[in-house]
Amino acid sequence: MRQSFRAAVSMLAIGFATVLGITAAEAASCPNPRQMDGFKTCADVAKAEQEGEVVFYTTDPPQATTEVMNDFMKAFPKIKATFLRLQAGNLFQRLMSERQAKTNVADVMSISEMTFATDLQKRGGYMPYESPEYAAYRKEYKSQPEGYFGWGTLIVAGLAYNPKLVPANEAPKNWPDALNATFKDAVNTKLSTSGLQDAVWYKLRQLYGEDYWTKFATLQPHGFDSYVQQFDRMVNGQDKLVHTAQYSAYLQLKAKGAELEFVFPTDGVVVGQSLYGAVEGAPHPEAAKLMLDWFLGKPGQASLQNHHYLSSPRTDMAPPPGGIPTGQMKVLLIDDWDAYLKSRPQFVREWDKITGMR
Amino acid sequence: MNTTAERRGPDRRLGRFLVVPGILATIGLLVIYPVFFLVTESLNVGDAGTFPPDELGFGNYQDMVSDTQVLWNTAFVAGLATVMAVGFGLLLAWILTRTAIPGRARLERLMELPYYMTPLVGALAWGVIAAPKTGLANQLGRLLGTNGDVLNIYSAWGIAWVMALFEGTVAFVMISAAMKSMDPSMEESARVLGAGKFRVALTVTLPMILPGIVSATIFVFAEMLSAFAAAFVLGIPSRFIVITTVIWQSTSAYPPEYGRAAAMGLCLFVVLAVAIGLARLVLRKGSYATITGKAFRPRPLRLGARAWPLVTVCWAYLTFAVFLPMAALLMTSFQKFATVIVGDMHFTLDNYASVFRQGAVASALTNSIVLGLGVATVGSLLVGVLTWVIFRARVPGRFLVEYVVMFPQAVPRLVFGLGLLWAWLWIGQALPFTLYGTLWILGLAYLTVLLPLGVRTLAGVVLQIDKSLEECARVCGASWVHQMRTVTLPLLRPGIVAAWLLIFISSVRELGASLFLMGPHSKVIGPAIVDAWLTASSELSAAMALVQTGVVFIAVIFLLRVTRRYSGDPA
Repeated sequence: MRQSFRAAVSMLAIGFATVLGITAAEAASCPNPRQMDGFKTCADVAKAEQEGEVVFYTTDPPQATTEVMNDFMKAFPKIKATFLRLQAGNLFQRLMSERQAKTNVADVMSISEMTFATDLQKRGGYMPYESPEYAAYRKEYKSQPEGYFGWGTLIVAGLAYNPKLVPANEAPKNWPDALNATFKDAVNTKLSTSGLQDAVWYKLRQLYGEDYWTKFATLQPHGFDSYVQQFDRMVNGQDKLVHTAQYSAYLQLKAKGAELEFVFPTDGVVVGQSLYGAVEGAPHPEAAKLMLDWFLGKPGQASLQNHHYLSSPRTDMAPPPGGIPTGQMKVLLIDDWDAYLKSRPQFVREWDKITGMR
Repeated sequence: MNTTAERRGPDRRLGRFLVVPGILATIGLLVIYPVFFLVTESLNVGDAGTFPPDELGFGNYQDMVSDTQVLWNTAFVAGLATVMAVGFGLLLAWILTRTAIPGRARLERLMELPYYMTPLVGALAWGVIAAPKTGLANQLGRLLGTNGDVLNIYSAWGIAWVMALFEGTVAFVMISAAMKSMDPSMEESARVLGAGKFRVALTVTLPMILPGIVSATIFVFAEMLSAFAAAFVLGIPSRFIVITTVIWQSTSAYPPEYGRAAAMGLCLFVVLAVAIGLARLVLRKGSYATITGKAFRPRPLRLGARAWPLVTVCWAYLTFAVFLPMAALLMTSFQKFATVIVGDMHFTLDNYASVFRQGAVASALTNSIVLGLGVATVGSLLVGVLTWVIFRARVPGRFLVEYVVMFPQAVPRLVFGLGLLWAWLWIGQALPFTLYGTLWILGLAYLTVLLPLGVRTLAGVVLQIDKSLEECARVCGASWVHQMRTVTLPLLRPGIVAAWLLIFISSVRELGASLFLMGPHSKVIGPAIVDAWLTASSELSAAMALVQTGVVFIAVIFLLRVTRRYSGDPA
């Protein structure tokens, strides 16, 4: 009796919180968004221009981000766009420290870690704002409740190999093929610092059970912090295969003339994401909303695709240069985010052992 | 007269007792205050995003027991690399300051080159040269018919080799500063008494420059303990993990494990404190004053034909530490995509075009140079005072100053930077102006983390100056200021120039503290290069690193020429 009363109170509290969350988000949206060049916004553009600046915190590569910022400034010459790029853990610590010291610097943020984004949402770190551009996005590509963050880009992960070392007939066709003993000491992957690796670990464990990673560990994979080192080693012939290979990295290297092949596993590519949201307490709130709408709108999406070679979650966008649309891929998405978030400590423990970091 | 002296006596004693507290207060703000945050974080066993921590405990320290392999790896590589680096530094310093070999002045200037390069760059370059399977040296070996790999840089010995090559130059600068300040009459006396040239070097020169060697050893050992780049780039492929690799992973992953990282970082200080204690014991046993009232003119040994093997040693070091890595980097920087397979190479100027097209790189490099100039100038003055207090002032508690000053050297900057971030963020709330996110906060951070470098560079020189010289000046009626200006500072000049140079270069290539404190409007070049390597491409990071090295080299040459012109003396 007592327990059911507690459960009822908890349900009620959760219900209120959800309603309040939605209300907060809806209150931030507007009935008549302003049509800009290629996207809609609820931001007060004149005020944003008066603010004159917008600061973007990101985990994305700085060189490409510089180009994206330049594209934004071409669209809004009166707003100076600057950014700070840090690794996920450092970015989290920086943001938390600034918030605790009441020194807010960031206006907009993008991060490729769902665990980070949901944690920040719980801590009240996102500015509630229902971007009119969210209308073009699938429900699962938005925060729950909506209005905190959205998927700005899709990061596709599959397999990549060096065709000089792996003949086409021996190339893996699906994820289990990557467990072939010929790849022993000649396969690399990402470290546990990567959100994408976490997603791949979770999905393949779901598909093939824990046995998949036990077998993978016997190949003694080399772990790396970034796709740059992964692909460098493969192109150089130090490794034959890249496991958890980013499609965007493949496209960039292919465009430069490198000899390598990408495999869309028949059992599906795993898709990670970069999550975009405006930051609570942003020093330039209107510019923050404007930039978020631009990112989620067609001009921002095109800029992200052209410079980062990442895929767009929008179905009305062309694929990144040289790539194919995600609609033509069999996509493996995380279906239970709660279970995924809870499994994070287990992933870190197991993955550090697999890559020899502990 | 007597009355004045009586009045001065208690004042001077009072002043003397106020010196150490005053110095401690200054460096306390710079060093101890951030350390307080670090110690607190090392006890954080709760939510990583909450500060002050809501749960305290010793869990992070207890967890280190399970990391014994990591601790052993760290001790092995740091010890091995220190022995190699000090060996390189000592040999090169002796050759270039005590012998008259052909091209000595040019070689001496070139010896500083490895230090201009970001450590990451050296590791990347040696990866190109000696990686197993595909390193250029191994490809060449296979062409010549060898089976398997000739070299494997992805090993403990490989990591130590790269670290030693690039830190050897620091040991060289420190030890040669001490050697330059040495009166050669002692060596001449030994020779007159019949000792051979190499016996003189071993039995007279070496013991007399012991302070310089000990200082260099402590500094280099601390640097090796907290070194990150070489172990990160060359250790991970072979699963050779050291403390700094674990710290990097703990801080860059989400959720970050800053408690674990802080505990590991603080433990390294304990190791260094033991090393400093041992050094004090060694140096307490003897007198190392080699600069006395007698005037001297350094007279290098004339070795005739025997000089050529020594010249070869110098050029061999430069080849391994500078020319080979630079050539590897140059090759990479002109590639469309980084590869060591000769048949796959495609060359382009695009990477340099990107470096110069993106204003962000130029602005980061300018910020770094401006910071370097400011920090080196203020820093060399500050370390001059600190070194004098630690090794010369007869004031109680001065040994404490040395331990406090050395703290930032022992704790990896990837951890210490976090303490600095919190410290200056919290102070910033009370200030009427904005400090956080500006170049000023980076300047303060650099000053803090580079104090040990300056102090250790000057320590060897200070210990060599005979106190009687200053006492003479005072007896002749000189005021303290006059004595410092006309006696002490001119004698310290080689050490101060060396300290300035090292601080300037270290500021320009600083990484750890910058990661935590640079803001969107105050970017610097060190993290930009690492970011490029981690997230863009090896070829772009190679181009950026070469541009950085070139700019620093030109800046140093220019500054030394200016110094020489205005002092009328070779720097």
